[in-house]
Amino acid sequence: MSIKLDPEGHEIAALFDLVDLDGKDVLEIGCGDGRLTWRYAERVGHVVAIEPFANAIDRARERIPEAAIDKVELRNVGFEEFASTSKPSTFDVAILSWSLC
Amino acid sequence: MKHEGMVHALEEIKRILRREACLIDIHPVREAPIIEVRTTDEVLFAEPSASYDYDDDLQHAEDALVSAVERALFVLDGSHEFEFVTIASSVVELRDFFAVSGAYEEDPLDETTEARVQELYARVDEVMRAAGEKARVARRERARVARLNPVR
Repeated sequence: MSIKLDPEGHEIAALFDLVDLDGKDVLEIGCGDGRLTWRYAERVGHVVAIEPFANAIDRARERIPEAAIDKVELRNVGFEEFASTSKPSTFDVAILSWSLC
Repeated sequence: MKHEGMVHALEEIKRILRREACLIDIHPVREAPIIEVRTTDEVLFAEPSASYDYDDDLQHAEDALVSAVERALFVLDGSHEFEFVTIASSVVELRDFFAVSGAYEEDPLDETTEARVQELYARVDEVMRAAGEKARVARRERARVARLNPVR
């Protein structure tokens, strides 16, 4: 048996209850191995998912669902560096995914 | 990342959000996760995690969000708490998973805490072995998701 994370989908249900992601441009900060990203990626217009730890982002790249390939841009970068090169008013939704603390 | 660093990050997030955009923050609630052993029918074991040590970083995160609202960077537009469960078929599987996750932590466990973790997992393993193949070990923690809208 492999590890099961949030098998009842409480996290994604709570997220969808607060925000409509359909067609949106999303920035996910601290995506880790893509665990949350894959649960919403098919809905968005585009998601940039950033993660400072290379091992985690490598695992994310191995696990991209086929349906999400064209919508997801994974980047191995911390937020400070990412923001320094980002233009204002770029995203509709920013998700701090267990990453502020 | 400490308080002012977190507030600066929130300022930058606001800068790169569009006018009608929102920020979603997900972080753990400040209470120890529960380590649980259960079968389909019953809970055989449940105790708080021995390695819980979120207080400082989590407090900084919560303070930063409060500061961001007080400074009129964002306004809170709803929040929910939910339970996040990690389920494994063995103690080894669960520990290996969190060893990988914990590798990203800035502060590894001290000796005393590590000893408490080992002792707890030894007891969990005993319960798992006695219960047989159908038993599962789970880590249950509560988290909060909040929506914050940028103030323009």
